[in-house]
Amino acid sequence: MPRTRATAVAVVDLTNCDRCGLCLPLCPPEAIHLDLSDLVIEVETCTGCRKCIAPCPVGALAMVPAA
Amino acid sequence: MHRPLSGRRPRHGARRVRDLDVLVVGAGPAGSVAAWEAKHASPELDVLLIERDRAVGAPVRCAEGVGDAGLREFADPGGAPWVARKITQVIFIAPDDTEVRVAQRDVGWILDRTRFDAYLAALAVAEGVDLQVGVEATGMQRGPGGRWHVRLRGAGAEETVGARVVIGADGVEAMVGRWAGLDTRVPARDMESCAQYLVQGIDVDPDAIYIQWGDRVAPGGYAWVFPKGVGVANVGLGLVALKSDGRNARQYLNEWIARRYPRAARTGYTVGGVIVHTTIRKTYADGVLLAGDAAHMINPLSGGGIVNAMKAGRLAGCTAAAAIRERDTSERRLASYHSTWMKLLGDDHLKYYRIKQALEALSDDFFNGLARTVNKIPQEKRTLGRIFAHALVKHPQLIPVAARFFL
Repeated sequence: MPRTRATAVAVVDLTNCDRCGLCLPLCPPEAIHLDLSDLVIEVETCTGCRKCIAPCPVGALAMVPAA
Repeated sequence: MHRPLSGRRPRHGARRVRDLDVLVVGAGPAGSVAAWEAKHASPELDVLLIERDRAVGAPVRCAEGVGDAGLREFADPGGAPWVARKITQVIFIAPDDTEVRVAQRDVGWILDRTRFDAYLAALAVAEGVDLQVGVEATGMQRGPGGRWHVRLRGAGAEETVGARVVIGADGVEAMVGRWAGLDTRVPARDMESCAQYLVQGIDVDPDAIYIQWGDRVAPGGYAWVFPKGVGVANVGLGLVALKSDGRNARQYLNEWIARRYPRAARTGYTVGGVIVHTTIRKTYADGVLLAGDAAHMINPLSGGGIVNAMKAGRLAGCTAAAAIRERDTSERRLASYHSTWMKLLGDDHLKYYRIKQALEALSDDFFNGLARTVNKIPQEKRTLGRIFAHALVKHPQLIPVAARFFL
């Protein structure tokens, strides 16, 4: 379903991500999942709400301008 | 115990579906107990337990502490190889570093989760459960005949299995719940971000656990030292990021260890989330039960979840076996799982959650004063009950907290 695109989206630094899964249930539109144990953020689903950013225990998540 | 998946990627687009009775996703304490219980209740059932990681019990994302009474419902810790340390003392540390030693008793155990989880999984296998490690569920949908068709992937192979009941014991990620249309999301205020080091050369009482809280230490949570042996301990903390000063959990922990245990060697670390919420509104759907962290069955006050997970797993396994026996795995039939859980522990968690909220309103200064008051009680009489009663008299600010426990 088409929707307004977010101006910024969350991205993960996989060199720092510990694959703990903490951010998955924090994401309101459920845009984050683990695929073969790697964290995947669906940019087309991310609303840019930032709820996943601060709770990451190792600071592996950040916001970037949406393409 | 690892066997490759039996099904290879289907040729010619044909989909081969292996039919099971119960599929348990996740071989932590909830999943292994659920699988054992289902198979034990109905030995004729085909029960598959899958674990995404290559080894059950690793990586450890846990402080590994467990209460004595709860553990004994499931396993005897005496001399068990999966026990790291017996704990007889709790030491609370106020924000200003005032220590309060609580009277000694059989408090609990620090487990070796790599061994404990493997022990539980092995019990399930001995009961006749099929365990496959390095296998993950990647999605599921309803198939014909009311079965769930679950896509599995591992060891270079994929297959789809059909299951009458899927038990989601997949931890904080809770993907089974998501696929079944259940709401397993967590508000940020109820997610504790945790970091933990395994440290060596730490000078603490090896028979005691240490708990410290305070805005400077772990805002919205607490820091802990859980000894695994003499001079060896899990040292970690959990905090609510909304209350932090912008630093992440690991940064808070680095500062805490540098201040309190500057000579300790950090030989390993782990991170993870602890959901300090109450049980999700609905832990079941047609042919689906969620158990443990996946259903937010953690004690929201302590953050402890191992025994809760096993109790939920036991209930889920029994419920699944009974429902299959009765040939009714509908949502209506499985609803008894939820109501039984709520009576067992879920309703208590609602109370603990209200207490947690009330405690959050109290300042560091209050806890510093409370620690000094409580230390006037002789140590041998300093039980948690006496601490609470004494505190109520000396600190009337606590009366609303107590009231929330009884309301």
